[in-house]
Amino acid sequence: MTALLEVQGLTVNFRIGSAMAARLRGQPPPDLKAVDNVSFEVERSESVGIVGESGCGKSTIAKAIVGLVPISAGSIELDGIPLTEKRDQATTRRIQMVFQDPGSSLNPSLTVERTLAELLRVHKIVPKDQVPERCGELMDLVELPRSLLRAYPKSLSGGQRQRVAIARALALDPEILIADEAVAALDVSVQAPILNLFNSLRRDLGLTLLFISHDLAVVRHVCDRVVVVYLGTAMEDGPTEQIFNDPRHPYTRALMAAAPKFGVKKEPGKSALTGEPPSALDLPSGCRFRTRCPLAQDICAETEPDLVESETDAEHLVACHFGWTEAPA
Amino acid sequence: MSEHLLEVSDLRVTMQRRGVPITPVDGVSLTLDRGEILGIAGESGSGKTLTLRAILGLLPRGGVAEGDLRFASDGGRPAPYVPTDVHGHGISIVFQEPMTALNPTMRVGDLIAEGPRIHQGMNKADARARAIELMRLVGIPTPERRARMWPHQLSGGLRQRVMVATALSTEPKLVLCDEPTTALDVSVQDQILGLLQDLRMRFDMAIIFVSHDIAVLGELCDRLAIMYAGQIVEIGPTDDVISRPNHPYTAALMASVPSFQGTSEELQGIPGHPPDPAAFASGCRFAPRCAFAREDCKEASYELTPTSDDRATSCIHPEVLAQP
Repeated sequence: MTALLEVQGLTVNFRIGSAMAARLRGQPPPDLKAVDNVSFEVERSESVGIVGESGCGKSTIAKAIVGLVPISAGSIELDGIPLTEKRDQATTRRIQMVFQDPGSSLNPSLTVERTLAELLRVHKIVPKDQVPERCGELMDLVELPRSLLRAYPKSLSGGQRQRVAIARALALDPEILIADEAVAALDVSVQAPILNLFNSLRRDLGLTLLFISHDLAVVRHVCDRVVVVYLGTAMEDGPTEQIFNDPRHPYTRALMAAAPKFGVKKEPGKSALTGEPPSALDLPSGCRFRTRCPLAQDICAETEPDLVESETDAEHLVACHFGWTEAPA
Repeated sequence: MSEHLLEVSDLRVTMQRRGVPITPVDGVSLTLDRGEILGIAGESGSGKTLTLRAILGLLPRGGVAEGDLRFASDGGRPAPYVPTDVHGHGISIVFQEPMTALNPTMRVGDLIAEGPRIHQGMNKADARARAIELMRLVGIPTPERRARMWPHQLSGGLRQRVMVATALSTEPKLVLCDEPTTALDVSVQDQILGLLQDLRMRFDMAIIFVSHDIAVLGELCDRLAIMYAGQIVEIGPTDDVISRPNHPYTAALMASVPSFQGTSEELQGIPGHPPDPAAFASGCRFAPRCAFAREDCKEASYELTPTSDDRATSCIHPEVLAQP
């Protein structure tokens, strides 16, 4: 089975500072590698989580996939067709995104109905006379009362707004839905039904979900597979259960140890993860995690480990020299 | 029983919204012992932050606090105090957003030294030395160098450590924390929580920690208060409140938290949304969303009733939650 979405060696550079000044100094123009050689595949109807600390590039990966930022190197293929930043309407439709803050991602001057109807008309999803009916169906899909179609975003609660944002993404019948921290701004009582909604949309519509979050408990609840990202690069990639029960990368282990766990007694501040990630402008040599890694050896400073699969399980990949062996004591 | 450090009774915060008075905090009572960490959990708009601010007299413009506030500033019995007088003299606060809460026009070292200089009359050189000592205490590497930096030059985690150092600079007995880790990554959050717990041990400092993150509160706090619609609906030892709730709201809240263990169970969530302070229900304020609401809930007046030595609930039918 071929993957629906295939990301190969994705690299996104941001030009920072003045290229002119750098040239005058005789240096190459300064680039920040926000995403550095990331590869992963997403199969149809699969739900993949991308986790990592802020600034690790997880949102940039999402933006590159929907075409909001240009790709510097590597490729993104949808059903074997390479995607570039410029896309035609038909391709745009297939990948849709839900953002973190529905307060600022919805147009405040449009009612919910106009927000949805505009998309349906522009993309000619349904004949004109069926637009109002389709708007109603979309509201049913995200479990909102149809009466809210006439409401403006400002009169909706945070949870309702996020549902409208999801309805807007679903209006185009996408195959892939990318949720970028879509529940981070919500209270738990509101977050819970939205997570359930994502699960039911997958089940009922066969939607493929790319779920970007810093909240490990949320990811565990929604995702089949998890990609752990650190400073722009994938550190570990595997089935959710395995990542949570048997994390192989020291960074994944440290992240798990640091997360507060509901229902488990643990002392805070005992995680191995001390300090903060180094600057993306000044990456350590070799493995970029070595400066915070409890297992770091000489080899870690010399060569950057590749993402390698386990001997027993081709689904589980780790970018660590000691991922599948024990580190020398 | 030992003397309390802080006693809040029947705290009420009234504000004006477009000329209409609203009461977003309505009858909060709580006590805090020396060296104790009390968590206050609640959804946005439940009044938890305003409660915290009322204790320090830091309400937004137009906010008026009524009620009895007592604080044992000199180690004796709790006595009534003027909220603004305890700034720098016993109570300090750590805010959520270290970027907006730190004065961007002051160097980090001067920010931390300001408290000792103003409130303890320290001279400039001593205050600077104290600032560096505090920065070392909260785990800021190379404090001598960092003391000369501006807040914008520090990362989020370091800024929050600076804020904690600022709060500690006047040797408070009580530190109020308003969602201090919400804007931080889990790894940094974990470090800050560990730091707070460590400081509590070393200085016998009490902490009130306000957050919407139950997992964080469960890890840090000795006791937990749950707020809903401006009232405390349940209070008790953290583990008891989380694992055996005595209020349907607490129970529903706990069922909404995704577990780290991962279960395939549907998360419960709570139907409807938190009420607006302009339209609190009469009787039990949670009744309109409560799965167990009965007729008499609509008339129940608010009272936090003890269910055991150290627990209390405002629910008049806590037996509905009893496990079969």
